[in-house]
Amino acid sequence: MAISRRDLIKVGLATGTALSIPSVLRAQMAPAEARTVRMVFGTGLTVFDPIYSTSYDAGNHGLAIYDMLFSPDSKFVPQPQMVGKWGVSEDKKTYTFELRDGLGWHDGTPVTAADCVASIRRWAQVNTGGQLLMERARDISKKDDRTFTIALKEPLGLLIDILASAGTPCLFIMREKDADRPATVQITANIGSGPFKFNEALAKPGASFTYDRNEKYVSRSESPDGWAGGKIVKVDRVIWDTISDQQTVIGALQAGEVDFVESPPLDLLSVIESDPNLELQILNKGGFDWYMRLNFLQKPFDNVKARQAMLHLVDQEAFMRVMSPDPKYGHTLTSIFGNNSSYSNDENTSWFKKGGDPEKARQLFKEAGYAGEKVVILAPTDWPEANNASQLLAGALREVGVNAELASSDWAGLVARRANKGPAEDGGWSIFITGSSAYADTDPISNVALAANGEKAFFGWPKNDEYEALRAKWADIETLEERKTLARDMQRLWWDFVGCVMLGQSVSPIARRKTLTGFLETPSLVPMWNLQKASA
Amino acid sequence: MVAYVLRRMVSTIAVMAMVGIFVFLLLRLAPGDPAAMIAGKSATAEMIAGIRETLGLNDPMPVQFIRWVRNMLGGDFGISIFSGRPVLELISQRLGPTLSLSILTMILSVSVGVSFGILAAWRTGGLVDRVLAAFSAFGYSVPVFVIGYFLIYFFAFRMHWLPVQGYVTIDGGIGPWFVHLVLPTVALSLGYIAFIARVTRASMLEVLSEDYMRTAAAKGASSYAMLFHHALKNAGVPILTVIGISFAYMIGGVVLTETVFNIPGIGRLVVDAINNRDYPIIQSVLILTSGLYVLINLTVDLAYTLIDPRIRY
Repeated sequence: MAISRRDLIKVGLATGTALSIPSVLRAQMAPAEARTVRMVFGTGLTVFDPIYSTSYDAGNHGLAIYDMLFSPDSKFVPQPQMVGKWGVSEDKKTYTFELRDGLGWHDGTPVTAADCVASIRRWAQVNTGGQLLMERARDISKKDDRTFTIALKEPLGLLIDILASAGTPCLFIMREKDADRPATVQITANIGSGPFKFNEALAKPGASFTYDRNEKYVSRSESPDGWAGGKIVKVDRVIWDTISDQQTVIGALQAGEVDFVESPPLDLLSVIESDPNLELQILNKGGFDWYMRLNFLQKPFDNVKARQAMLHLVDQEAFMRVMSPDPKYGHTLTSIFGNNSSYSNDENTSWFKKGGDPEKARQLFKEAGYAGEKVVILAPTDWPEANNASQLLAGALREVGVNAELASSDWAGLVARRANKGPAEDGGWSIFITGSSAYADTDPISNVALAANGEKAFFGWPKNDEYEALRAKWADIETLEERKTLARDMQRLWWDFVGCVMLGQSVSPIARRKTLTGFLETPSLVPMWNLQKASA
Repeated sequence: MVAYVLRRMVSTIAVMAMVGIFVFLLLRLAPGDPAAMIAGKSATAEMIAGIRETLGLNDPMPVQFIRWVRNMLGGDFGISIFSGRPVLELISQRLGPTLSLSILTMILSVSVGVSFGILAAWRTGGLVDRVLAAFSAFGYSVPVFVIGYFLIYFFAFRMHWLPVQGYVTIDGGIGPWFVHLVLPTVALSLGYIAFIARVTRASMLEVLSEDYMRTAAAKGASSYAMLFHHALKNAGVPILTVIGISFAYMIGGVVLTETVFNIPGIGRLVVDAINNRDYPIIQSVLILTSGLYVLINLTVDLAYTLIDPRIRY
């Protein structure tokens, strides 16, 4: 089996041809179109009904294909969106809304007042603000095809804010036949009246979803501002790519295979900063407020002294170092209304001390009669920030003599266990770490994390009747100054009974190619309209 | 042979039934609540409870099991709890990418792995054998994601020859389809090439030391005839076994490669479903994969008769 020189030449030619094939074939691939934007959001779209799920992915999908009656501008002030004209009666009990001209569903039928009424009723089943609206409502009904009314038993000063809330689930208007389903049953159609149409034919679950410009969408004439104003679509198509591996996401962004990444991994921000073609941009300046929920129903946190001990134990800067290592993006936080809102205040925040106060915490645990009960911290292994913080917390608790135990699981395991109200020994829990958007923290009506109505409150089930009486007033107050005063009163009580324990605030930049511009400031979800893409 | 095949088919059904019961119980007993995952981080307990009720997750476990089995026997594998799409539709969408990757990987692995094995056995103890032994050790020991990231860095970033990630269906053109599969195929193949090469080498060495090989050499048979006509055919059974096992394993084991190269295949479908506790998807994929695994083994067993006439069923 001697190998001749001719054989070697043949092998060499074949190898050369083989190596050149990829570049030849690559040239056959269609170049990235300038009017197509490829975006990577969150963890990927799995639930399509933005009322059925509070997830941001479902919300981003909803923001693209549905429209809202009112939308918040960049200062969170509600502005009419689908509504053309509206008014309120002198007794402030009857609101009348008239839809603006040109509103139509993606299936070609017009948007009617009946659609709006059905959508409000469905959304109100699961949105806390909506539930308040339904409690106060005497009647919600259409007057004609374009007009509907909300008649109240008593005035509700916050009504327009509730309708315009950007906290998920938002009030996206759906067709009556979709909205007639209970909110706990997922709708099957993706037909809205928003600036983008969902392209069912190109839907590739697990890979990508395609949104085409709705050519028939009639935009408002005002300039875009937050979610308000004109929703002008300047590209033909947005493709929502699902890429689960963080390293691959950034690789795809660098290579120009995607244009935008909503949540770039924190440890790769420096890679993005050093790439001349990429840019980091903060769209949500309020960011995310991190806190721990304590189980009010079980020892030791059924005792207010033990909860106060946790306030003093936390060294927020240390927590931020493990949750948001770059100081540009992580800050301390003492107000339950976030760092940057109109209601942020410093009432009753003397517990805050740089570096924490472990000795004070130890003393308070002693005063609480802590006798070595097991403190179970639910740690989500698939949520790095919360998992890191859980481990740091376990260490800090052990240092002050608390019998802390980490119960690690994925988020799905955590959410199942956190529903258990029993003692830690019987599969219950003591602490878990989570958070909410700073925007949500400006709204104690819709944000369940700011409720303290016991069994009806968010997990941890804090209870304080005095605080709840103040919270109930929030919806009726009309002036900003009055609400600021109320916010201080609520916060004073909150830190007395310790409804939760703050860990800090982080802001997360989005990453984009410099060729993609036009992003609007947003409190949570990312609008796909107004984007412009220059040729690379 | 027909009786043998029928017996194996019956045992396949038994295996799938066992897998079904085991997977169903495992999922229900493992911590996790799909309703809470659907509802999202900000959902109230009331909202989660409503979704649980709607999805039938509050029904007793035996009721859920009987409902699932009855539907499956009628060809209804259910709908995804999350997307609301039929599970079979989702699986069929994901089968293409996984089969494409697996088949290309098998073609590359078998052609290169068997060639390397023959070459190493032919030149046993020599430089070629040692180089191939080192290559095999490398292929075994380096995880696929390390190789994947290296290939992406070199061929996508540095050379700009190939895409970083993604998958294009064959309908989108054979060129783009192939280009997107080059790097994942190479990354996934290395381990299999190493495995197949080592087994081929060992099997060939055993055959090459047989008396009839010496006889063939004494009769003046060429090296080519000795290796390919006499040795390889007789060494074929263990090689075929390894190829069969590798292919079956690959169908369910490509998840890392699919993740690194963002290929929307079966592996990613299952991992996403597990993270979300999307029971119908997990159950269906595992049932079908177990059936496929058994069928591939059956095919391999039947293929033995083609290369070794002494084997009869």
